[in-house]
Amino acid sequence: MSKFKEKDVLLKIRDLRIDGFSDETWVPIIKGVDLTLHRGEVMGLIGESGAGKSTIGAAAMGYARDGTRISSGSIEFDGMELSTATEGERRALRGSRIAYVAQSAAASFNPAHKLIDQHTEAPVHYRIKKRMESQEDAMTLYERLRLPNPSEIGFRYPHQVSGGQLQRAMTAMAMSCRPDLIIFDEPTTALDVTTQIEVLAAIRDIVDQFQTAAIYITHDLAVVAQMADTIKVLLKGEEVEEQTTEKMLDDPQEDYTKSLWAVRSFQRPQKKRPSDGSPPLISVKNIDAAYTGGVKVLDDVSFDIYPGMTVAVVGESGSGKSTTARVITGLLPPSAGEIQFKGQTLPKFYKDRNRDQLRQAQMIYQMADTALNPKVKICDIIGRPAEFYSGLTGPALKQRVDELLDLIELEPAKYYNRYPPELSGGQKQRIGIARALAAEPEFIICDEVTSALDQLVAEGILKLLDRLQQDLGLAYMFITHDLATVRSIADEVVVMQNGKVVEQGPKDEMFQPPHHPYTDLLLSSVPEMDPNWLTTLLEERGVDNIGEAATS
Amino acid sequence: MSFVLGYYVALIAGSTFAAYTGRRTVFLMLFSLTLASFIVGIIGGEGALRFIATAAGLLALAAAVSYCFREFLVAVTKPSLSKELKTAPLTAAFGMFVIFTYAIAGIFAPWIAPYGESEVITQAFAPRDENLLLGADQLGRDIFSRIIFGARNSVGLALLATTLAFLIGAFAGLMAAVKGGWFDNLMGRTADVIMSVPSLIFALLMLSIFGTALWVIVIIVAVIYSPRVFRLTRAVAGNIVVMDYIEAAKLRGEGDWHLIRKEILPNSTAPLIAEFGLEFCFVFLLIAGLSFLGLGIQPPTADWGSMVRENATLISFGDITPLIPAGAIALLTVAVNFVVDWMLFRSSGLKEV
Repeated sequence: MSKFKEKDVLLKIRDLRIDGFSDETWVPIIKGVDLTLHRGEVMGLIGESGAGKSTIGAAAMGYARDGTRISSGSIEFDGMELSTATEGERRALRGSRIAYVAQSAAASFNPAHKLIDQHTEAPVHYRIKKRMESQEDAMTLYERLRLPNPSEIGFRYPHQVSGGQLQRAMTAMAMSCRPDLIIFDEPTTALDVTTQIEVLAAIRDIVDQFQTAAIYITHDLAVVAQMADTIKVLLKGEEVEEQTTEKMLDDPQEDYTKSLWAVRSFQRPQKKRPSDGSPPLISVKNIDAAYTGGVKVLDDVSFDIYPGMTVAVVGESGSGKSTTARVITGLLPPSAGEIQFKGQTLPKFYKDRNRDQLRQAQMIYQMADTALNPKVKICDIIGRPAEFYSGLTGPALKQRVDELLDLIELEPAKYYNRYPPELSGGQKQRIGIARALAAEPEFIICDEVTSALDQLVAEGILKLLDRLQQDLGLAYMFITHDLATVRSIADEVVVMQNGKVVEQGPKDEMFQPPHHPYTDLLLSSVPEMDPNWLTTLLEERGVDNIGEAATS
Repeated sequence: MSFVLGYYVALIAGSTFAAYTGRRTVFLMLFSLTLASFIVGIIGGEGALRFIATAAGLLALAAAVSYCFREFLVAVTKPSLSKELKTAPLTAAFGMFVIFTYAIAGIFAPWIAPYGESEVITQAFAPRDENLLLGADQLGRDIFSRIIFGARNSVGLALLATTLAFLIGAFAGLMAAVKGGWFDNLMGRTADVIMSVPSLIFALLMLSIFGTALWVIVIIVAVIYSPRVFRLTRAVAGNIVVMDYIEAAKLRGEGDWHLIRKEILPNSTAPLIAEFGLEFCFVFLLIAGLSFLGLGIQPPTADWGSMVRENATLISFGDITPLIPAGAIALLTVAVNFVVDWMLFRSSGLKEV
């Protein structure tokens, strides 16, 4: 804290309480949080979803989202009390002195206007700059944020640039009025690790250069370690602890913080392929595939999955991981190559497969929200595959559902008659697992099953999957872009890039050099807890050689 | 004079009481009524004030009836349903009350109506008295009785036609969404062809070809309105079939019928029910329009649309009789829309706005 003088306080929040409206009553969601932010300071807010991070972020702008209200407390921005200010006064601050960078830049940009027109809107509106001045400024900012073609990129529409570039353009837009405070609300959560680095580096540079204060909201500890001077941990609307980054990482005080830190430590022993020459459970052989009329998205993909083993398929978005899963399940018939199950070739199209072949390949989806029918009871969601494949009815079916609920550690009596929207994210994902298990498969495809979950919850799911594997001898194809997950659960790793397998092998070998350059890039891009990791990495790679530049 | 005085005293006493007990909306309503009454009273005199008082009284009566009806429904239904009903706004309760009344009138028409449906009892256009509540029509039939019987014919026919339109449209829409490909295209183009002909002209044409039997009317109206249902269903179902749970069900090997019935239909009922209410109004108006033109329900069967036409001459004598069946149509339309609005609000994302 010594870096920042007491008199330079920019934002002072005292005993902030915010209520949310649910079930016809107001319930407190922020229960008295204090926050002090100095000029030029970057504060990381971390916590699980529902901890109130984003709500505090919005409150720092004097804003309460729909269905929430600031019930008491004071928010003082540069000597101005926001909680009692008029809406007009508060609005005058937003965009000019306080800016906001949202999680999904793709959803936050207006797709009908060019980037630069959206960039110049705030400065022109507040009469800080003329349009032309502001455009030039935008180009300078784009250059500083290392966007390719800084003088031209602004004249594109949002859909014409990539996700990482869009996120940087949004950061540039936030800087357009040179605000005193920027609120970053999970700006890199939706990005690939390799893209994340560019954005992180860009944000850090620009915040440093302009001495802007920032609130950085994220659930990823390693990311916040790179960005923040101080870290505040939140749990269910209350502050757990606040410390400088180094101190927080080395010596967390509270139990909850320690548990957050420990999440990434789960690891299970690696299994080897059976040596008796038995055939693989699933064998993907020289698969080519394309969506109708499109270019090839899979090019000569081959790998084997042996019984009881976990094969992690990693790669950036667009590398063909999920397409491979679609080919295996038969949703997308391959144009060449074949899928073998225990040595027998499976029909290419799922409609040509018989029930027994269908039951062998079950999927668990990334978004449990869309994977479970919201209007069907839990007992029917889980019961249907059991009824469909095994012909169970009446008491036998009920008993099987109870068994499955026990298996996924949910109390049968309590959840039997519930509907999916009444469950939390982790519970929904467990139901998804139970549905897959109900078919009694030997092989399950897990498509990014943990990436939409909080770290503590995700770890619970990983442990559950691991236990099920041991008890039931399941084989998993684990699609993920998160290498920490790979480290904890995989036996073998397949690395994919642009529809090709670039490297594959047992996990221990894959994490040891020498790597394929792409594997190396992926591995080194995973943020580490060390606060100097980003700095070191950038020095190693050279400033112009990060992210995209390195992949091409 | 005493009326004017009493009127203001009542209003001001009411507003004071509301303000004192802290009922903000009631106070604002009453007091703005008071202020408006000052102005209207000065301009229009006692007559205008009486009119306002009557209108306000009627509104209050409707509100009170709706309130009681809602409480009644809450009291007699099962807990799961009554919890939903408690959230119903008064407008929805009013709508339900009106629909309920119409249903009773339609079902028990022969017992409620004092005279027969096509019974000539007096001379043409006989004025109102205590026996003829609403007077007589051009043939000397009792208008009140005919309105009661009309509820049965007009509403029943519209209900039948709408249901049929929904069965055809929803089934085609769901199948098109699930099957896709050529089936989807075929259905879509067929719907376009039907929709491209103006509905009233299409109906007139078909009715002149096939005659005006009741079942012909039902089928023709159903066919004319099914493409709208088809389009909506297909759009709603189209958003659902891309969900992962549909993919999971497909991979499980489920047939189309299971997909439609168990996975898609439960998720699309809300917009479909809302659409049902709206379509019902349109179908109702179309049938009334056809009757008005002489091609719908044929005399002597009582029907609100044809009743308007038969008594239309009375308008030129300043009599409101032809407006009474028209009013019955309007009231039902409004009532259905009130209920539908509430259902939409309850079961969609509208409440988050």
